[in-house]
Amino acid sequence: MSEQLTLYLNKVLLALVEANIPYKSYQVDLLNKPEWFTSKVNPAGKVPVVTYGGPSVEPDDPSPLSVKITESIVILEFLADLYPDSGLLPKDPVLRAKVRFFIDATSKHVKGKAQGFMRGSESYDNILKGYEFIQDLLEEGSDFAVGDHYTIADAYISMFLASLKIVIENDIGNFRVGMGYKLGEELKGPKFAKFMTYVQRVLDRPSFKQSYDEESTIAYFKTSYTERVQ
Amino acid sequence: MSEQLTLYLHKVSPFSQKIQLALAEANAPYRAYQVNLRNKPEWFTSKLNPVGQVPVLTYGGPNVNPEDPSSLSAKIVESNVILEFLADLYPNSGLLPKDPVLRAKVRFFIDATMKHVEGTYLAFVQGNESFDNVLKAIEFIQELLEEGRNFAVGDHYTIADACISPHLARLKIVTETDIGNFPAGMGYRLGEELEGPRFAKFKKYAQRMLDRPGFQQTHDEEAIIGYFKRRFTNRIQ
Repeated sequence: MSEQLTLYLNKVLLALVEANIPYKSYQVDLLNKPEWFTSKVNPAGKVPVVTYGGPSVEPDDPSPLSVKITESIVILEFLADLYPDSGLLPKDPVLRAKVRFFIDATSKHVKGKAQGFMRGSESYDNILKGYEFIQDLLEEGSDFAVGDHYTIADAYISMFLASLKIVIENDIGNFRVGMGYKLGEELKGPKFAKFMTYVQRVLDRPSFKQSYDEESTIAYFKTSYTERVQ
Repeated sequence: MSEQLTLYLHKVSPFSQKIQLALAEANAPYRAYQVNLRNKPEWFTSKLNPVGQVPVLTYGGPNVNPEDPSSLSAKIVESNVILEFLADLYPNSGLLPKDPVLRAKVRFFIDATMKHVEGTYLAFVQGNESFDNVLKAIEFIQELLEEGRNFAVGDHYTIADACISPHLARLKIVTETDIGNFPAGMGYRLGEELEGPRFAKFKKYAQRMLDRPGFQQTHDEEAIIGYFKRRFTNRIQ
């Protein structure tokens, strides 16, 4: 389950790195969960989880005095609250709404569709419509999803864009053979120029590169997606 | 707060009602405009929301007739995004607490409402989800509620309460009228389960939310029942 680990863990990791927030990290083996993880950190057994406060302890010996926070989006907002000057969320309410709308749009138009496409259950056309929806939210030439600073919107979408890159470069997935390459060709066209510029910028960021292990994600995808739709 | 607020809504839309509840809680002055969703005005899709859904909140810009929205106002869509926006505009209203950990609890409650109520429970009414899964979903929500507390999180009405309340009213309607695409009688059965001791905490919380004046002023039970009767006509067997 190392792909899931990377996929969800990194949204939060990216925000932590971009905002220079000091943290300790612990990689949980989701296939072999330590007992202390489900009993003391997250009974639901999922990552990411952030513990906040309490005494300084080793990650594998969590204290009951710390607060446990789960769900990526909840954690991202929490970090923005803890570090209000980090830019993770802008100060202006209208811009903040734009960041949240971008995250909501990513959740609705990219996350579900991309997973569906890789599983062979979502149509090629729908996944393109999803990227088009996101593209319409982007400003020409901007490095960031919203405004002129890295926000939790960029952190949220990054991993989906990383997966997209793997799909179009390696054709890995349960969709028909070649559909991944075809998607890549279509996205290289002028219609998606703005989107792909943003994608490249996101994936080029040092915070992303240092948090992401493309090789092991590719390896995980290869073992997960082995049943091609005909 | 001198910028104008206009809420485009529909009286049977639970998502619209969430916003009305939050606005009432913040004592925020605003204009309400009911959109004819069966015969959408052209200006609604072209100037406010291409997706054609309510709620839409406009903020700022000149004071105009709601049917003639200005390009200068900000247009905010997606009910949970609008709830957060109102909490930002009214930071002392209590809509969101000041403490980051409590804020995270409010958001977790909203996330749970999205997954288990807007997800699982709505699917059940549409005929696409099992009875057992609905009970589990309601139980998940119940576990988040603290005994003896009047609100979802902390001791003040927050956007968490605003988010779930409209759905609680519709759940009550389903259990009282059995309207839905689930097999006949499952609505009544759900009601019986919720009357039992297992769900006492949930039931108490739901009743408190529905008893609030702010809720009752924005709730049109007849219109919702009428809408449900037209919408849910495909019982699964």
